[in-house]
Amino acid sequence: MSLADSELTADAIEELYARGVTDGLPVVPPTRERVSRAVAATGRDAGELVARVPPNYGRATVEKIAVNAVMAGCRPEYLPVVVAAVEAVCDEAFDLHGVSATTNAPAPLVVVNGPVRGRLELNCGAGVFGSGWRANATIGRALRLVCVNVGGAIPGVVSMSTLAHPGRYTYCIGEHEEASPWDSLAVEHGFARADSTVAVLAADAPLSVYDQRSRAPEDLLATIAASMAVIEHHKMTHWGDTLLVLSPEHAALVGDARWTKADVRRWLWERLRRPVRELLPGRDGGDGLPEHVLRKFKDPAHDDTLVPKFRAPENIKILVAGGTAGRFSAIVPGWTFSKGSALVFRQIRPASLEDTP
Amino acid sequence: MSDYLDPTDSVAVPRKTAPRPSSLDGKTVTLLDISKAKGDHLLDRIEELLRERARPKAIVRKRKPTFARPAPDELRREIVGATDVLIEALAD
Repeated sequence: MSLADSELTADAIEELYARGVTDGLPVVPPTRERVSRAVAATGRDAGELVARVPPNYGRATVEKIAVNAVMAGCRPEYLPVVVAAVEAVCDEAFDLHGVSATTNAPAPLVVVNGPVRGRLELNCGAGVFGSGWRANATIGRALRLVCVNVGGAIPGVVSMSTLAHPGRYTYCIGEHEEASPWDSLAVEHGFARADSTVAVLAADAPLSVYDQRSRAPEDLLATIAASMAVIEHHKMTHWGDTLLVLSPEHAALVGDARWTKADVRRWLWERLRRPVRELLPGRDGGDGLPEHVLRKFKDPAHDDTLVPKFRAPENIKILVAGGTAGRFSAIVPGWTFSKGSALVFRQIRPASLEDTP
Repeated sequence: MSDYLDPTDSVAVPRKTAPRPSSLDGKTVTLLDISKAKGDHLLDRIEELLRERARPKAIVRKRKPTFARPAPDELRREIVGATDVLIEALAD
């Protein structure tokens, strides 16, 4: 690149900042040539409408998604993943309108399953939530830019999150399927092992949980349950989809004892129930069971009826990710109260890069 | 920006607020509770003040099923055309 070209690029970066279409970090200028290459990698027409993006219901055509993906730094071959992620967040079940506008903090977390992880060198191992991997960094970032530039979720204007969290820059992981004793998250939800998929969750930041010394599933899960009990609010009940990201070492401990994922979910769900009398709004926290629920009990202050933290065991979504050394897992709380958002899957198409024209 | 493609949907039209009436007298006022905690407390007080300080033709109370999603189309249709003024309470 000549000096003149460098200066031109620098000016373009400043111009894009001035237009308010970045996430605060410099973006790659979306030249027609770059965008054309990105569109071609989808195997679709540039003008094809993929989704209307809440809250403004802007039209996410293949080309608009490609422009934002180029800006985010995506390689063309990442585009099918970005397109699937856009489709997924625009599914009514995800409630992107609420996710983008709420004063709460969620960001769409993209979980990738299937062979595409290897082809794109998408990190599933050490430092899975961290930096250093182009596919993870730019796919998550592209989704954010689409939400803002096409959906209108401009921070401080429409997107009014009180605190937000760093996942609003980028939030994309792969499942470490090869280090799991169980079926992957996608296979559990009806996809074939050969399918590549995205799952999106309106997610808080990951809450790390260490347990170095437990050697029995019940002991480890007691540690994890204690951290899960306080997500959102310690008296919050009937919560929805939430991810439990087990590190390979923690997963092996549980799997070696012949526990299935269903066993883990059931154990945690039962453990995470509390009697009504502990869930009253009070001096230990002004939130708690709402008035219309409390009215169902004659004497709530002394009632031992157990109320679950999660609506059903199936709301506890388990996957394995992270490095093969280290007894650290993570809870990723969903923004998933009743009638709110839920985990949404989409298959990535084309299924293989060979299908790309 | 002529050298670069536009990342926004330029056709998406920014929303405008409706013109404000100069008086609430003789108007039908709808109070919309979005189902946030204590939204009803706020709207109860607003209703009291409206009755005290204005002479609305009617005050209608409506409620969204959840604050987390836009109002269902049916509820919007019920409100549009049947009210002159809409007040939405956020609360918490």
